Amino acid sequence: MQLTDVSSWLVWILPLVSSVFVPLIAKFSAKARNYFVILIGAVTAFLAFTLIPAVASGAEGFINLTAPWIPGGITAGVFIDPLSVLFACLVSFFGLIIVIYSQGYMKGEANLTRYYFFMLLFIGSMIGLVISDNFLQMFIFWEMVGLCSYALISFWSNRPESVKSGNKVFLMTRIGDILLLAAIGILYASLGTFSFRETITLLPTLPTSTITTVAFLLFGGAIAKSAQLPLHTWLYSAMEAPTSVSALLHAATMVKAGIYLVARFILIAGPLVATLPLWLPSVAWVGVLTAFLGATMALYTTDIKGVLAYSTVSQLGFMMAALGSVSLAAAASLGWFASLFHMVSHAFFEGLGFLLAGGIIHALGTRDMRLMGGLRKAMPITFALAVIMIITTSGLPPFAAFFSKGLVIESLMETGTLLQVILLFAATALTFAYSLRFMKLTFLGNPSEHLKKLHVHEAPKIMLVPAGILAALCIVWGFIQPALGSFLHLEAETSLLGAFFNIETAVFAAILVPTALLIYATYFKNFSVMNAIRSDKNPVSKLLKHGYFFDDFYEKVTAKAVMVFSGGVQFVEDIGFEAFPQKFANGIVRLAGGVHKYLDTATDQFLNVVAGRTLGGASKVRTLDTLADKLLDLLAGKTLRSASKAAKATKAPRNSLQHYLAAAIIGFIMLVVLIIISIGV
Amino acid sequence: MLYSLLLVFLLPALGIPFVYFGGKKSSKIAASIVALIAIINIALVLTTVPTILNSANHMYIEEYAWIPVLNSHFTLFVDGISVSIAIIAMVLIVAAALFSIKYMEGKKNLPVYYVLLSLLSVGLVGVFLTSNLLLFYFCWELMLLPAYFIIGSWGYRESYRAAFKFFIFTHAGAVFVLLGIGAIYMITGTTDLFAAQTALLSFPELAKWIIIALTAGFAVKMAIVPLHMWLPDAHSEAPATMSALLSGVIISAGAYAILRLSLGAVFPAVAGTEFGTSFLHGLAVFGVISAFFGAFIALVENDIKRIIAYSSIAHMGYVLFGLSLYPSEPLIGGALAITTAITGTVFHILTHAVSKGLLFLSAGAVMHQTELRDIREMGGLAGKMPFTSTSAIIAGLSIAGSPPFACFISEFLIFVGAFDIIRTNSFYLVPTILMLLATVFSLAYSLRFVYRIFIAPPKPGTTLDGNEKHKITDVPNSMKIAMLILIIFVVLLGVYPAFFINLINTVGFI
Repeated sequence: MQLTDVSSWLVWILPLVSSVFVPLIAKFSAKARNYFVILIGAVTAFLAFTLIPAVASGAEGFINLTAPWIPGGITAGVFIDPLSVLFACLVSFFGLIIVIYSQGYMKGEANLTRYYFFMLLFIGSMIGLVISDNFLQMFIFWEMVGLCSYALISFWSNRPESVKSGNKVFLMTRIGDILLLAAIGILYASLGTFSFRETITLLPTLPTSTITTVAFLLFGGAIAKSAQLPLHTWLYSAMEAPTSVSALLHAATMVKAGIYLVARFILIAGPLVATLPLWLPSVAWVGVLTAFLGATMALYTTDIKGVLAYSTVSQLGFMMAALGSVSLAAAASLGWFASLFHMVSHAFFEGLGFLLAGGIIHALGTRDMRLMGGLRKAMPITFALAVIMIITTSGLPPFAAFFSKGLVIESLMETGTLLQVILLFAATALTFAYSLRFMKLTFLGNPSEHLKKLHVHEAPKIMLVPAGILAALCIVWGFIQPALGSFLHLEAETSLLGAFFNIETAVFAAILVPTALLIYATYFKNFSVMNAIRSDKNPVSKLLKHGYFFDDFYEKVTAKAVMVFSGGVQFVEDIGFEAFPQKFANGIVRLAGGVHKYLDTATDQFLNVVAGRTLGGASKVRTLDTLADKLLDLLAGKTLRSASKAAKATKAPRNSLQHYLAAAIIGFIMLVVLIIISIGV
Repeated sequence: MLYSLLLVFLLPALGIPFVYFGGKKSSKIAASIVALIAIINIALVLTTVPTILNSANHMYIEEYAWIPVLNSHFTLFVDGISVSIAIIAMVLIVAAALFSIKYMEGKKNLPVYYVLLSLLSVGLVGVFLTSNLLLFYFCWELMLLPAYFIIGSWGYRESYRAAFKFFIFTHAGAVFVLLGIGAIYMITGTTDLFAAQTALLSFPELAKWIIIALTAGFAVKMAIVPLHMWLPDAHSEAPATMSALLSGVIISAGAYAILRLSLGAVFPAVAGTEFGTSFLHGLAVFGVISAFFGAFIALVENDIKRIIAYSSIAHMGYVLFGLSLYPSEPLIGGALAITTAITGTVFHILTHAVSKGLLFLSAGAVMHQTELRDIREMGGLAGKMPFTSTSAIIAGLSIAGSPPFACFISEFLIFVGAFDIIRTNSFYLVPTILMLLATVFSLAYSLRFVYRIFIAPPKPGTTLDGNEKHKITDVPNSMKIAMLILIIFVVLLGVYPAFFINLINTVGFI
């Protein structure tokens, strides 16, 4: 038995099972709980990294281990290939970083047991998601990470806006979930299997129309989970979560699930993806548009986490666009590799951004950037790390995103249209712009009035060290490109040196200068032209401030429509279904009244007449009867008197009806039992 | 084990005197006896499982002579489907009995309440344990009477009115059932389910009317829109334990009966004909209507128990939709045809029973502790009642179909079965899409339910905003245990559904 056989199961089962122990250990001491969580995070990361050698040396390309689960041929299993191992390592590593960071950031909060429980549950579910060997298991974890996201966003449950955002996020991602569910259902119905391995061999037997439907539905699931247009708005709402949660779920890992799904589907379908009508172009276009529009929205928000959220949306668009550019030799083509490469570098710089923002929010108690400024003096280390973050985000050499974003654009230059490339370059320029704006508003300039009232201090060490590690990774990650390329079995030729000398870099350099000038004019010199553009009266700026009115549409139109319609249904219920039986019953009662009034009275009178006659006859008999009566009275009187004495002695029963009923039922049951026994057994 | 099913049938009945006289001393004794008998019954039913799994026809039958004139035997029979539902029904009875101890404390006539509860369990379990149509009808009616008295005597507000409505509606439904069963007997001269199935094959014309009568009768019990009017009242006015049983098992008994009688016994006679296909399509349409109708009203309703009641209507819509996926081709031999969709449907009956039972018990706990029932007056109970809120959240998420909780697996299987059928029958495409959409609404009302009651801050000036008459605490331990039993099942069925799915699939997977 090899180490991989054990560690590939343990790596997701361990955090899942340990999460249950968090509340138990918390009963003893809070400190023990915190150490336990860190320990589990470290062990999980270790287990994930032990998977690397097996995959790197694996001749087959993947390892598939299974165990029986649901009868009917459905098994649970793990699927170890470069893609899943890359994700598993990233998730477990980031989980560990965030768990350590939380020790500082969440210090002193109430209900931390719940927080750590869901953190471990999330780490386990997310690793389970990427390491599953079948669609069903993957979907279950897909939903579970959504559940964890919901629980963690609404962590501060006494803040209504947190809980509302949690509900909204859960509901919006649910739309994607049902699309994914439909895709999986169709696949299973046509292939009879959930397993990736079997799907790889069986998928080509399906008609193209079915595969296309499945592919689009899967992509729909990915759109919702990875916050692509038009369902990107939930990511902004998710910023109500504690910042550590945002870093882990909404920047580094969970939002990447959609990228994983599409990347996985491209691997499964192989060269088939290129034959699906419109699918790859759709993926690319959604990605490009999201990258561009996300970046424009990041320019206008005043929420420090909002900038990072829209930045994440935009960067996810880059990844999606790269996935849409895969060529005919689908497996491990340049676009596919570029997307994953950028996925990891984004995790590092955006994660770093969130960790720093967390430190700032921690110190200032606000998320509004207009209340910040001049923080470079008060928080020098944070400032230094932020500079690294900004440089990486903007894609300046030689940091991580320079290489990865360069590859993304390069891959689109190969297969995409000119407009796509132009939009991506524009998005790159905008990235640079919003990064600088972020820098200006928070760190440069003079402190705001709000800040002067506070005594701002540097973030504690336990928060700075994780951020430092990420910053270091931002610097070195780009140079790992050749190693990562061979790990992911990249077939295309790339070289580090080539990244510096190609058209893409030249264009990038060419647009950086004017962008920098524009930014300088806008935010540092306050040119009146730029101010006019930025003013609220300008329709463009209004549009951007409202995030293109997506959210307003969802909340005001869609949600309202559903509620109004529900109200209508309830009205029907009250008027129609509720009242109808009453009316019906009343009708019958009225009918009965009528019968009583007319028919019954008539019969009564008739009977009276008849009875009168009969009585007349009867009275003649009565005289005879009285004699016998008197005799009986004499006898019965004595008996009755003794009986009434006895009755007084025993207490009269209360609560009559139900007791009689019970007695009758008991008797009845006994009777039935007797009958059954006497006849049958 | 010899006589085990007969014992299952008789034990609750024989226990009634003990329950009654025990209850006179203390209701704890009565509740324990009811729970104990149910636990023994679970053990007894479990003894039949090896036979079901290993015998050739995957059934376990006990037969006793009964009414010779009618050629009617006292046939007790279980197969994979009925044994699963019977076990879950008894689990619910255990939970309800334990929950009652504190929940009903201080009410009048408690011995009678427990007597009625055990009597109910006779009918409740009996329905699933017989293949004799007369005995089935007997048990069917036996479910009705105790339920009527429990709702009426121990319910809230205008309870007797709700109980009366319940009685009238379901009794009217039962008349149709009796009509159908009588027709079957008249045509075939037998009251045995399996004999009737074979005999009916030669009467396709009459079978049409029989299947309509039976299904209409059962649909009333299932509360399918537009025959659902009794359900919101009965569920919301009944004591929580009764609501849990009503919603968990009694309405599902209607679904079981449609599967077993309408589809299992009568449908083969009309299978493959145009009528048979349109009958199934009709079920699908009513299923979709119910699912949406229930979900929409649950979204705007403000009464804590009425929300859950309408959610039950929605879920019966799922079940009916699942039943409509029954294979429409004529089958050779066998009592029932099990496909992925039917497995999912039966499994949904189980998962819905435990989840909805848990949700009702949680709602009952909230009402018991706060004496409120309008969710607009509630809020912030998560801090005051952590256990109850956990159980309500678990139940709510399960109802919404979120993994890893029970209802996810069953809904998923139904959808997989639906996609399977779409390939050959494009009619189901639109209903399936609509049903998928309905899951979003079920998540919406579940979240609203949890949010308003447990998480949202209470509205200023309401009782919970610092104006409580007494301090609100979490429920006592016996109620916690009752809820814990159901929580365990909700999670267990969601994570490891193999035991029950194996059992269900033995019936004749095709």
